[in-house]
Amino acid sequence: MNAGLATLLVVEDDAQIRRFVRHSLEREGFRVREAEAYATGLIDAGTIKPDVVILDLGLPDGDGKNFVRELRGWSQVPVLILSARSMETDKIEVLDAGADDYLTKPFSVGELLARVRALLRRGSRSPDTENALVRFGEVTVDMTRRLVLRADVPVHLTAIEYRLLVALIANANKVVTQRQLLRDVWGPSHVESSHYLRIYVSHLRQKLEINPTLPQHLLTEIGVGYRFTM
Amino acid sequence: MCALVALVAWPLSYWLDNVNIVMIFLLNIVAVALLFGRRAAIAAAFLSVALFDFFFVPPKFSFSVNDGQYLVTFAVMLAVALTIGHLTTAVTQRADDAQQRADEQAGLYQLAQELAGALSLPQTVGAIHAFFRQQLNARSTILLPDESGELVISGHDATPASHHAKLTNAERSAARAVYETGTLMDSPKLGNDDGERLLLPLIGATRHRGVLIVAACEQTPQTLVSKTSMLRAVASLITTAIERLHYVEVANKTELEIQSERLRSGILAALSHDIRTPLTALYGLADTLVADTQIEKILIKETAVAIRDQSLQLNSMVTNLLDMARIQAGQITLRREWQPLDEVIGASIRFAAAACSQRHVIVELPPELPLVNIDAVLIERVLCNLLENASKYSPPNSEIRLVAHASTLEIAVSVRNPGSGFPADRLERMFLLFERGAQDGHVSGMGVGLAICRAVVEAHGGHISASNPTDGGACVTFTLPRGTPPPIDLEADAPSVSARP
Repeated sequence: MNAGLATLLVVEDDAQIRRFVRHSLEREGFRVREAEAYATGLIDAGTIKPDVVILDLGLPDGDGKNFVRELRGWSQVPVLILSARSMETDKIEVLDAGADDYLTKPFSVGELLARVRALLRRGSRSPDTENALVRFGEVTVDMTRRLVLRADVPVHLTAIEYRLLVALIANANKVVTQRQLLRDVWGPSHVESSHYLRIYVSHLRQKLEINPTLPQHLLTEIGVGYRFTM
Repeated sequence: MCALVALVAWPLSYWLDNVNIVMIFLLNIVAVALLFGRRAAIAAAFLSVALFDFFFVPPKFSFSVNDGQYLVTFAVMLAVALTIGHLTTAVTQRADDAQQRADEQAGLYQLAQELAGALSLPQTVGAIHAFFRQQLNARSTILLPDESGELVISGHDATPASHHAKLTNAERSAARAVYETGTLMDSPKLGNDDGERLLLPLIGATRHRGVLIVAACEQTPQTLVSKTSMLRAVASLITTAIERLHYVEVANKTELEIQSERLRSGILAALSHDIRTPLTALYGLADTLVADTQIEKILIKETAVAIRDQSLQLNSMVTNLLDMARIQAGQITLRREWQPLDEVIGASIRFAAAACSQRHVIVELPPELPLVNIDAVLIERVLCNLLENASKYSPPNSEIRLVAHASTLEIAVSVRNPGSGFPADRLERMFLLFERGAQDGHVSGMGVGLAICRAVVEAHGGHISASNPTDGGACVTFTLPRGTPPPIDLEADAPSVSARP
């Protein structure tokens, strides 16, 4: 997909933030539409049919969680949340409600562009053309043969470790909440056993990361979940 | 008893002279006086003379007397018997009085001790009630003025009689009068039970503190009025105790006010200086871009970078201030989960990467760190603050070491930098709000970071301390309790994914 044709909807009440977000996105060739309130934002999302919605979690006239829930009723458009720090619970709730990723204010232009591009890539990828071969760092994951290689040497992964790795790869470059991962890997009855998730992520890091304490690919989003970056 | 003596003395009269019989009667008077008191002794004196006359003086079994000499004997015998009786009972009385006074003294002493140790008003009132119950068999009520100056009962006597501890209107107005005039009032006609009432003012050094009402139970033998001097002593003891509690409260309140005042002025100082400084820089930097039309392209870039850095610094200050405000407001609730510490450490280093850009962060962790039950978001704040501090107070290109150790009960994490160290005399004070290490001004900050660290670590049940290691630099160490991690049922390691083609 040509990124130049992508249309982005920015729902944010602060004029200066809208201004610099619009400016930096337009410079990259995106078409940007703005909405400054909850109600108009939701209407615009329906009429404009944007490729990505960038949503401020602190809108004065409505709750971001409800926005995402309502939007998800009729659209699968990727949603990037802008939120203040120390609102981890809100972030988790809005992600579990269906938002795709978040940025903590203040954020840099570079971070914003990287998140938007990742969401656009995901939106354009249809399930059947999914890469059977995934490479990150010195690791290669061959999905069809269920084979994991590190520097061309097979790595021994347990069944759960492998399922977890696949779940992370499926959500590559975006944040996944603990709840989503627990549900995907262990099943709906295990969403509260978060310490299992942490232990298995730590096992994966031991096996796949060069420096498990300072991981490059299996990143922790403290208080929210994990982010796998290629 | 006199008859008994007469009976016993009867056979002896064959051997003894009548003079000696008189002696036996007199001895009996002493016994009667000791045992039965003054009235009995007087009666015994007269009876003894009569019996002596009747049984021993010839003619026997008659009150008539042959020998006129015996009339003298009777008179002397009666006088001696009355005197002996009087003296004996007086001695007993005095001994009893002394004993009672000693008991009262002991009771007073015990009350004084209890009141001196009492830390709260209910404790004080309880000790007073107990004292009156035990010493005087009386019910006591303490009336103290509330905020509006109205006299209210402070704590009820816990005896069964306390169901009428409610004051009658008469009692209430009498108490009011006693409180206002500061004079004692004795009245039997106040209460529901018509028992004697004594109302004593509690007169403090600076003002009247309240009223003590003592109500005698009906079966109390002595009157309360006879105890006035003792009751006055008790009242002054009570006043002292109540005044002491009052001043303790005043002192605590003042201390609190001083602290919150210090906090307020600290926040104001921080806001006016530490926040305004980066704001001034931001404004000035942006203004050079606006005003200088001839500015070189390279300078534009430099200015923009400076604006960005200043903004980020301002952001970290505001974040810390907000965190601190939330902690102070008691709004922090820990969302504890069992997690590997190295995960939090890794995330913190990534988060603090910008602040530590020109330093090398070296992490030393033991291979098998146990899970810890922590609020990861808050512990990440602690680690970030420590890393940012370590970076701020150390020269560029220096090494910041982050080391963790696990002992049987806790896990200790320390962050060390090779900078100039903490001021040696203020190691403990570094964790107080708005306390700054370097005062020379080249390092920006507000003295909030370490205060947040302490609040978070202590909320987790750990402790935090600062030290200057002997080989130089500064070190902050905090501990987290290990607790008992949940059991982990790891999958059987059988199905190897890679082995399956």
